[in-house]
Amino acid sequence: MNKLLLILLVSCVSVLLLISTTGAAEIQKISDDQVSNSSLEDVLSELGLGKYTHSMNGYDEEKAKMGKDLILNGRTRKEGKKSKRISSYFVCTDCHNLGQEFKALESEDASDRLTFSKENGLPFLPGSTFYGIYNRTSFYNNDYVKKYGDLVTNARDTLENSVQLCAKYCSSGRYLKDWELEAIMHYFKKNELHIKDLDLSEATLNSLRNMPTLSETERETLKNELMNSHRTSYSATFLPTMDVNLRKFGEGGNVENGKLIYNKSCLHCHANRRVTYLNLDNDRLSAKMFVKNLKNYKDKSLYQIIRYGTYAKAGRKQYMPLYTEEKMSDDQINDLVAYIKQLANK
Amino acid sequence: MRLKNTLLALSTIAFFGVQAQDVQETFSGTRILNGHSVETLKKKTLQFRIEHRFGDMLPGWDASELAQSWLGFDQASDIRFAFEYGISDKLMIGLGRSKGTGLPYRSLIDGFAKYRILTQNKTTKMPLSMTFIGTSTLSYMKASPDVTQVQHFPKFAHRMAYCAQLNMARKFGDRFSLALMPTYVHRNYVDVNDVNGLFALGAAFNLKFTKEMGIIAEYYHAFHDNTVRTNNFNSLSAGFEYATNGHVFKVVMTNAKGFNETQFIPGTYSDWLNGEFRLGFSITRNFKL
Repeated sequence: MNKLLLILLVSCVSVLLLISTTGAAEIQKISDDQVSNSSLEDVLSELGLGKYTHSMNGYDEEKAKMGKDLILNGRTRKEGKKSKRISSYFVCTDCHNLGQEFKALESEDASDRLTFSKENGLPFLPGSTFYGIYNRTSFYNNDYVKKYGDLVTNARDTLENSVQLCAKYCSSGRYLKDWELEAIMHYFKKNELHIKDLDLSEATLNSLRNMPTLSETERETLKNELMNSHRTSYSATFLPTMDVNLRKFGEGGNVENGKLIYNKSCLHCHANRRVTYLNLDNDRLSAKMFVKNLKNYKDKSLYQIIRYGTYAKAGRKQYMPLYTEEKMSDDQINDLVAYIKQLANK
Repeated sequence: MRLKNTLLALSTIAFFGVQAQDVQETFSGTRILNGHSVETLKKKTLQFRIEHRFGDMLPGWDASELAQSWLGFDQASDIRFAFEYGISDKLMIGLGRSKGTGLPYRSLIDGFAKYRILTQNKTTKMPLSMTFIGTSTLSYMKASPDVTQVQHFPKFAHRMAYCAQLNMARKFGDRFSLALMPTYVHRNYVDVNDVNGLFALGAAFNLKFTKEMGIIAEYYHAFHDNTVRTNNFNSLSAGFEYATNGHVFKVVMTNAKGFNETQFIPGTYSDWLNGEFRLGFSITRNFKL
């Protein structure tokens, strides 16, 4: 009888051990690959942050392709027919890059952005990149209310609304049809951030591998680590035109950076009148025009136009968007001026 | 090394687009003064043009005329309104209506197509820009009962005239551009002391003082038999340009009265040396469609 009890006891312990071992094996099944390919949204949701208001379960390849077409060309083909252009004046990529703009995704520093732009041959644009826009929760931030007023109210916390605001007002176009907005959202979803896109420490990656076993404190730490490894919004600080007495007029400016800004910002739209009627080139006449106006507050003063841009008006809906402090710093404007002065005296 | 350079050039072109390496603004606008320039409108740009030529400023150097017609402002030698459109960055078309000089006919509708064949480019070392222009004019003026007049128009085709032009230009440095325009003009119906077809060679330059301002000169030399065409002069024009964002404003002094190559190349009868020159202007406004 005792023997029978002993056998039963041993069997139970073995079964329990087997169950616990199997369980542990299941937890350890979160392989490196699985961690890397996990969607950031899913992981954050798992950690208790909930899903984005624009959350999508997946994306349709065909719709994402149409979305990209709309972003690049302002139109696409639907059921064999060309769709109507969103705007006669702009396409999204006139102001926004599609790819990564910062080496460290948590950064929004203008000099970091210029360095990355230089290393990767990217345009240096006034809008924030669409890279990781699916993982953002706030749009048209801070001072954009000064430009768009109440229009930003409904756009600030909703990605779909901010896309509509951009399509109608920023691009001097029209509101998107439902299918167009859906296609663009599918493109955004396709390009959402994954764990592999983030620059995470080994300790954080380890926490992700062992997420089911983490304590509450560890989960909180992991959540903070992930939130700090990317941006959920980009700041927007509108600066006034620099006072003429504070302008350095290129003194001490980095000419090489200035050349980069001229080529990757100014000429992105102005070369060969691509977007606007004002034609700019790496020629002395263009440079002399700017040098002549450096000391004033007119549109041809770089200090003025970069900070204020121009506004769409009847008969001329294409306008120049302004650069916020985050998108072009005062030092970078000084670099640009240094290059312009050198070009004028070439 | 050569492969590396080629790849570098190709990647640069791929990034900026070929156009970024193209020489820009050889001339301001699609016209030099009376005639075409190598420039074409950008794709999906609609341009509205208003062009005007006043009357003779000092005909016969008669100073009293100066005040009487107020520098010729009281008269209008020719007026043209036109819509022109860029189908692609290289191909543009235009449709215009002009008063016509009356030499020999008035009330003209003109249409043209212009195609950019070559673009001066620093990367590909293309030395010049070239466009081909084909224009045609149709006079819809009421036919004259006088059979001796060109305006009698025995057939509908007699109301038509054509021009083909190869427009070649090169920009030297940032400020100076030079153009040569071999041209052939054919008019279906002409006077007895005139010729139907004639060759002409145009030449022009543009010197920019600043980004916005510059001076221009344009001359068309018509090759014809002087013993047949005895009253004709060659079109010589000088002008000043002021370009702003979206507008190009040009003021011109010219002995030619009319617009369109079919008028000012074969049909200029005014002599600079006799005070028969006039002020003119053109205003353009671009719309993006």
